[in-house]
Amino acid sequence: MSAMGKLRIIGVGSAAGDDQAGWLVVQALRRTPLAQRCGRGTRMLALDRPGVQLISQLEGADAVILIDAIRSGAAPGTIHRIDDLARIEADLLVSCHGLGLAATLELARALDVMPATLLLYGIEIDPATTGAAPSKMVTEAADLLAHRIVEELPLHAASESAPAGVP
Amino acid sequence: MAEEPKSAAPERGERTVQIHVPVLARVEGEGALHLRIRGGQIEELSLQIYEPPRLFEKFLEGRSYEEVPDMVARICGICPVAYQISAVNALEDAFGVEPGPWVQAMRRVLYCGEWIQSHCLHIHLLAAPDFLGYESVIAMARDHPQVVRRGLALQALGNDLMRLLGARSVHPIGVKVGGFHHAPHPAEAQAMAERLHAALADTQALVRWCASLAVPEDWQDFVSVAMGDAQQYPIERGRIIAGDGLAIDPAQYEQHFTEEQVAHSTALYSRYRGRAYLVGPLARLNLNRDRLAAPVQQLLAQTALAWPSRNMFHSIVARAIEVHFAVAEAARLLQDYTLPSAPAVAVTPRAGVGYGCSEAPRGLLWHRYRVDGDGRIVEARIVPPTSQNQARIEEDLRLSLQAFGLDHDDEQLRLHCEKVIRNYDPCISCATHFLRLGVQRE
Repeated sequence: MSAMGKLRIIGVGSAAGDDQAGWLVVQALRRTPLAQRCGRGTRMLALDRPGVQLISQLEGADAVILIDAIRSGAAPGTIHRIDDLARIEADLLVSCHGLGLAATLELARALDVMPATLLLYGIEIDPATTGAAPSKMVTEAADLLAHRIVEELPLHAASESAPAGVP
Repeated sequence: MAEEPKSAAPERGERTVQIHVPVLARVEGEGALHLRIRGGQIEELSLQIYEPPRLFEKFLEGRSYEEVPDMVARICGICPVAYQISAVNALEDAFGVEPGPWVQAMRRVLYCGEWIQSHCLHIHLLAAPDFLGYESVIAMARDHPQVVRRGLALQALGNDLMRLLGARSVHPIGVKVGGFHHAPHPAEAQAMAERLHAALADTQALVRWCASLAVPEDWQDFVSVAMGDAQQYPIERGRIIAGDGLAIDPAQYEQHFTEEQVAHSTALYSRYRGRAYLVGPLARLNLNRDRLAAPVQQLLAQTALAWPSRNMFHSIVARAIEVHFAVAEAARLLQDYTLPSAPAVAVTPRAGVGYGCSEAPRGLLWHRYRVDGDGRIVEARIVPPTSQNQARIEEDLRLSLQAFGLDHDDEQLRLHCEKVIRNYDPCISCATHFLRLGVQRE
């Protein structure tokens, strides 16, 4: 993720327990120097319906970092980094219904709106987490991942603004 | 998991066809269609719903009326507003609350958002690929990118409209008994009205495109049931009417409609005067098309289809008409938006029973609550549209398969069954190619 141009950092999730992992990362990123330090070109969003909104956000972006909840059997809080989208299996990803994330990316490819670079981070969640509060493992993982993303980004990457997502 | 298909050679024209719905991730509800054909006749047909009882009615008992809108929103991720509005209608009925014109208008706007997003999801992601012969919307998008883009943009518009009043589009949290928690700023409402106006050309094109799709000629006799209103196309409030002249208040629903358990499903089957009946967009349009504004009626006339329609395959056109109507209706209501002195009226709970209903994207959604003097739920009853349509789906499948021709091969039968079921947009149709066919020949 070196040359970035227009960058979108998108957290996908819902308000249910650990499923808000993607939103938590975006919230954490907004507390980092990244939000102020960057100039034009980067946007951070939290989305709740990946199928529809995600495609419109992919369009026109040069690079996209997606963060979503994942269930693969690993311990809750485990961070997955997937830069080879061919590795994504549809049933690996947790998402609200409509189109799941894997199908959404397939549709984006069919519509020719996939960015040149797409990096997916997944945070392993505990599906038994119910209610509004996420688990401690996922909250800590979200903070850790936010800092990792900041470290990976070139400092000249830039922020158009922080338009409203869901949370 | 789905059963493996089983096949054997036919003997003397006798064969048994079994169609199974596999367990699917990200699909609300699990089900199976069991079909047995013997000697050229359907011997047995049953739509099996495996969804475990979710016990929402029991969850609500003992809860404050204030918690109900947010709790029932969790029943469905696609139509949470319908559950919220039916619930607040019933609770306001119990408490004798009249929320006033601003709240009623904004509930209608919020509901329009849900219709737009739900119908557009169905049309583009589920139904259109069927009719055009594609495996999925992904395959369809390669050949019809502009159609899919238009659909996704309209769906996003519906989501944004829900967010305007509900704070978020999935399980929105804006609705309360008596009104809303928050009133949008006039500038937000005006900006949304402008987006809606700008989308009208797309929704008109969507109606024409849906009407141009080739669908089976499958005419059936059924009773349409929907809400009806003297002034406007029914969405968020009104009486309950039927194609045979029935016109009742929501409180009278249980006198005319019954629910029964069947051995093969955990869902309850609804009947009207002992018969299966239809709820949903086609039923609404059949009964209420004269309530549409003149330009929408003109657009409907341009479809060159005969209305009322007895062909369930015209449901996709009915949904497209309702998308256009909902965009125009929300634009009209937001055009005159003013900030209210308060987004909700005061509510004083009292003991009693309240009835309420509204038109979910999939059809009539009826609620009844018994509450105590503190406003706690003593008893709840919720009748969703999909369970009301289940008997009709089975009836339709019998008739439609017979008309389609039972001599078609198993794959063609499976695809036809999927199309028939999808017309009703039940939650189990959320996946493409959800039926697996097993043939047993003896």
